[in-house]
Amino acid sequence: MELTRLNRNVRILNWAAFVTISIALLIVFFYAPTERTMGNVQRIFYFHVGAAWVGAVAFFVALVAGAVYLRRPSKKWDTVAVASVEIGLVFLTMAIVAGSVWGKPAWNTWWNWSSVRLTTITIAWLTYAAYFMLRGAIEDEEKRGRFAAVYVIAAFVTILLSYLSIRFVNDLLHPVVVGGTAEALEGQAAESLQEFAPGVESTRMVISLNASVIAFSFLYAAWMVNRIRLQRFMDEAANLKMRVVARLQGELS
Amino acid sequence: MSKKTNKSAVKTPRSAFWSSVWAIVWKDLQIEKHTRQIVSVMIMFSLVTVIMFNFALEANLAAAREVATGLLWATILLAGTLGLNRSLAIERENQTMEAILMAPINRSAIYLGKVISTTVFVLILEAILVFIFIIFFNKPYWRPQVILVLFLGTIGYIAAGVLVTSMTIQTRTREVLLPVLLLPLSLPLVLPAATIVSSYMFPQLPDLAEIQTPLSLVLVYDLLMLTVGFLTYHYVVES
Repeated sequence: MELTRLNRNVRILNWAAFVTISIALLIVFFYAPTERTMGNVQRIFYFHVGAAWVGAVAFFVALVAGAVYLRRPSKKWDTVAVASVEIGLVFLTMAIVAGSVWGKPAWNTWWNWSSVRLTTITIAWLTYAAYFMLRGAIEDEEKRGRFAAVYVIAAFVTILLSYLSIRFVNDLLHPVVVGGTAEALEGQAAESLQEFAPGVESTRMVISLNASVIAFSFLYAAWMVNRIRLQRFMDEAANLKMRVVARLQGELS
Repeated sequence: MSKKTNKSAVKTPRSAFWSSVWAIVWKDLQIEKHTRQIVSVMIMFSLVTVIMFNFALEANLAAAREVATGLLWATILLAGTLGLNRSLAIERENQTMEAILMAPINRSAIYLGKVISTTVFVLILEAILVFIFIIFFNKPYWRPQVILVLFLGTIGYIAAGVLVTSMTIQTRTREVLLPVLLLPLSLPLVLPAATIVSSYMFPQLPDLAEIQTPLSLVLVYDLLMLTVGFLTYHYVVES
């Protein structure tokens, strides 16, 4: 029954996530400058980018876990993939909601289908939501893991295509913030921020953005370990249930 | 010496691969020739859909013309799910998939064969649909560029479709699950493809620079999906 206690790594990550998110909140609200044209609403931007970033990372982790599962099938990798898709979907929803709240004052509408970004993100959301439909329809555990792994690899094509279409299709509404690589992230963020706030202010914005992205990454890691732990509980519970049923049947006969 | 005789007696791996692909394609075409159950279902379904859309848009023919390209793709996608389901359900009902799996052939060859044969069925459907759309909406769907984009779009759609259908056909909910998985998965392909087709609907042709981006997106999707299917198909059909 050592499962009931939080193990040390989980506790450390939980605290790390709590602390970094608190610091990011302070930075976003007190350190980041108020943007000139949009005002305080612009502060949503830091959460929006952080959440979208984690969404992409989570789906990439799911892709890797899926590929590893196909190579050597083990429950562990299937759990990592489910946890990652689930959390990625939550973060993607957060990014969409935050973007929509920001879009209302910025574009005077909650939603705009003419933006490539909004369209592709919706497609990605639907694709990964369908992942759970597929899992729900298969009873056999080994087969479920195998099919889910294949699907999660195919689904990543939609993420790749969104990146490509964002880079190459003209989008007048949505700036490109996160590029394909981590190095491009810094440059892109600075570049797109400088467009509407040059000088010292933009440096403070870049620092705030990085703080927010780091905080969200810690939050993702913490949620991952907690979700994986939760899955272990669920498996354990199912196992115990089966044993109780077997015992009862044995007593009856 | 003995190696040489072996080589001439046994087919090289590459030609063995392609001959098994063609065997699958040929088998599917023969079945379809005798039963006509896939293409006919798709055609009937498309006719009903197009006529239904026409009723929905009857009040405004100009509006109908505007959305004709969207209707064409929507009809192909929906009819395509029927064709895919049928094409793989046949293998299941007659337990031919088990028989094919027993043969010592590469699983990727089965995938490729299925993709080719289903693409052929959908292309037959598209030929008829293009004809119907020219008549109903009076738009230049006969342009070779449009036909080429329809062809490229179909390959990617069926490449994803065969992979997904091979999975959904083995699940509890079967036919119901396929559109839920496949339609979102194919949207990154269909949206740029539809963009290209609609840019060819005007009397003057668009410049190549205009369609370059969506065309490369379509090609990249085709390549990626075929690769994913090629590499992962044996995990899907294994039992």
